[in-house]
Parts: sequence; structure tokens; C-alpha cells
Amino acid sequence: MHTVTFAFTGKGGVGKTSLSAAMIRLLLERYPDKKILAIDADPAVGLATALAMQPPMTLDDVRLKIAASIDKGETADAVALLSEARFHLLDCMDERGNLSFLAIGRPEAAGCYCKVNAYLKQVIETISGNFDFVVIDGEAGIEQINRRVLETITCLVLVSDGSQKGIQVVSTIQHVASRLVQCEKSGVIFNRIRPGFALPAAQELPPVLAVIGDDDAQAQNDMQGESVFSLPDDAPLLRGAAQALDALLQENRP
Amino acid sequence: MKLFQDVIQQMRALLPEQPALSAAYRSELCAESGDKNAILFRSDTAYELGGSGKPGVSSVLFGETGAAQDEVLVFGKDLCELTQDTAFAHLTIVQLKEHSEEDLRYEQLKEIGFRLFQLYPEGYHIRVSPSAGREQVRVAKDALAGPAPLSFVNVGCSLIRLLREHEDVARVQTVFITGEGADYAVLAALARKAKSITEAVQHTLELGELDCASCKMKPICDEVDGLRELHLKREKENRNHGT
Repeated sequence: MHTVTFAFTGKGGVGKTSLSAAMIRLLLERYPDKKILAIDADPAVGLATALAMQPPMTLDDVRLKIAASIDKGETADAVALLSEARFHLLDCMDERGNLSFLAIGRPEAAGCYCKVNAYLKQVIETISGNFDFVVIDGEAGIEQINRRVLETITCLVLVSDGSQKGIQVVSTIQHVASRLVQCEKSGVIFNRIRPGFALPAAQELPPVLAVIGDDDAQAQNDMQGESVFSLPDDAPLLRGAAQALDALLQENRP
Repeated sequence: MKLFQDVIQQMRALLPEQPALSAAYRSELCAESGDKNAILFRSDTAYELGGSGKPGVSSVLFGETGAAQDEVLVFGKDLCELTQDTAFAHLTIVQLKEHSEEDLRYEQLKEIGFRLFQLYPEGYHIRVSPSAGREQVRVAKDALAGPAPLSFVNVGCSLIRLLREHEDVARVQTVFITGEGADYAVLAALARKAKSITEAVQHTLELGELDCASCKMKPICDEVDGLRELHLKREKENRNHGT
């Protein structure tokens, strides 16, 4: 099976999670017979709400469980630990029809996310072949790119708002990703754009996939804690995501 | 091997005298192999053995199978007769070749026991938690459809083949139990005891833990016939080697 993997990344607060959710909704609607895996790789944890999914456990819960068994002096043999991790993986997965959902979780220890990111990388590599599409809502910034958590992906989707900071972050990620990530396509979605915004010079960024203005329906949805499935079909967020999807999937249909 | 014999006997005592189904190993009965990374989705699953919080006991034990041939025993309903998540136990008794028993190594027990984790029958998604002694299996709707639905005999034969490929294995008996007939709590307790025996063997043979006063395995060594002898044998070997 040829798996198409989308990874969304960018500065915090630019709408990566909403766009990831919108992309997942579109994939479910367009390809009802395809298997889709949604991964909430952002410790801020928002994709579950956006998709109305509730995983019983997170990947970090599994990692902690395994670490605790080692601390208790139980077997630390690699084969047994792998089996243990495989056992709990399905417990982490919330499944609804053809959509499966995994969350990285929010490690309680302050500071370092290295271990859970390393575990996430292994999980992605192991199971992504079961799916036609994998959509990863990445952590803000370049950590997961730097750590090569997102090492091999089909489409890197950079998300920015109209701010210089947002554009700078996207430019940095693009630069780092060009060295560390194997991706077939990349592009930028400008989100929550106000009138008067001027697109940056073409040479600074990868192709622009969509420009999305303020979306009242999405703002209302967010306020009420509703999922992406409650949005009207003509919501700007969905129209923008559809435009991006069309551009990205031109040669990449599974 | 007498280390596990008492546990094996107690497990057997929990089962009815006659299995619902028994089959000698035949290679042509082995299930088709699947992809080791394949996930069986809930939407493609007919039911889960040990699912919905029901018992799912898993144990690999080393001792006399008491059978003249490699065999699969089924107590309770077979796969095609089940329709919903059910309590489940899977016990595998591995008889080692005589010379292997005399020169027992922990590595050997580990290699053999871990073969269960390498079993990937098509349409039969096994997941094992070694720490909890738990095994759950998602069974595919597709695997149960058609004129030759998947059976425990197919899965059991695949496991037997995998185990018999190990040079120290002489005989295998693999037992599947489903339904409410067995006392799963007692089976789980016995499986934990078997795991403790294996850990005690590891402490003695691999970790070289011979100071009983500081060893956490002392209670199980005191209880199980053979562990103390293993310990003394190891001590003697160390003395002979001057360590």
C-alpha cells in the first residue's frame, strides 16, 4: 500500500490543528473506503477535540507504563518490551469507521519531549503502512523536524498567519526540513489572513497552497467546542483545505 | 522439566477431562502468515478474544506435554463458533530435548518463549503483554468467512511449527480455552507463578544471583521443586571454575 503522509507544522496559534482536522474531514468524505490515521503529535493536544475523538491512552502513557515496569525490575529485554508496546498500541487508538486516532500526550515531566518523540517516530514507522493516509498535526516550531520524528513524509504543509513571525518560522522550518526531511512535496497555507496582506516573495517559501481569510464559522465552532464535522461545507477553512488537498494530491493518490 | 511440572498439573486440573477439539500437528494445517506490522481494525474485526475487559491469559511453560505427538487442544468454542468478545486463555507447553534440560540456559527459555511474539497468522491479530501475562486477539471477519474459516487448529499448528524450528524443542502442546468454563483467575495466578519460575531461572543462570539473603526470588525458589537444585548446581560450577 502506498501511504500518503501529510505533516502540518508552523508557529503556534496559526491554525495547524484546525487545518489538520479539516484535511481529515475532506479525506474521509472523498475517500470513504480508505484507511486514515490521524496523529496528534502536538503536546498541546487539540486534534482530539477538533475530531471529537477520545483515545483511552496516549503514547506517552504507554511509554511511562513500560518505563515503570523496567523500574520495578521486570524484564527489560528488547523483544519483550516491543511486544509490550505493540500490546498497548491498540489501546491508544480510538477508531471510528475508517478513521483511527493516536495522541502523543502531554508528558508531565517538565522540559524534555525527546523520549516520547523517539517513541512516536518508531510508532509512525511501524504502523503507517496500514493506512492510505496519515495526517500528523505536528508540534509548533522545529523540534520534531530537528529530531527527525517526521523524517519521511509525502507532503509537508507549512502553516502561517499573516505575521512576520509566522512567516519567519515557516521559512526556518522549510530550511531545516530541506536537510533533514525526505518529502515529495511541500507548500504553505496562509490562514486567518486579513485584507491587505501581501504574499511574501516567491523565492523565500515553497508554493502557496491556499490563502484562507477569517472564518467566523470556525471561530464559532471553536468557541462552542464543536468538532470539524459541524462546520458547514462552504466554511472558508474547508474550502482552503480542499484547495491545498487538490494541489498536494495531484500525483499522490493512493 | 520438573520446574514447571507442578504448575502444568494444576492448570490441567482446571480443564475438563476431554477437550472439545484436539488435532495432531500437520504442516498443511498451518494458518497463512500475515504481515508483522499489520493492524486489524475494529471495523474489520469480528470479535476480540480477551477483549472488552474479559480475561486473556497467556503462558508458555516448559515440561512434559504428556502427548506422543505435537498437538493442539481446544476447550470451549472454536473461532468460527464465537460471535462476540470472550474470555480466553492460551497455554503452551514446550518439552525440551533431554540434553537441553541437562544443560539448561535462560537464553534458551527466552528464545523459545519469545517465539509467541513472532506469530502473525493472517486475520488473527495477536498482542501479548509479557509483563501482565496477557494475550488478546482480534479475529478478522474475513478470516471467518468462506468455506474454510480460520480455526484454533490452524493458529496452533503455526505456533508449533515456529517452536519446533528451535533446535532444543522436542514436543509442543498448545491449548486454547474460550468461554466461561474455565477459572481464568486461577489460570492467571498460575501463569504469574510460571513467569516467576522463569525469572528465578534467569536470576540463577544469567544474572548469577546466588545470595539468597538479598534475592527477591527466594520465596519462589523455596516453593518450587528444582529451583534450589539449579541454584546449588550453579554454585558448584562456580566453585569448580574458581569464581
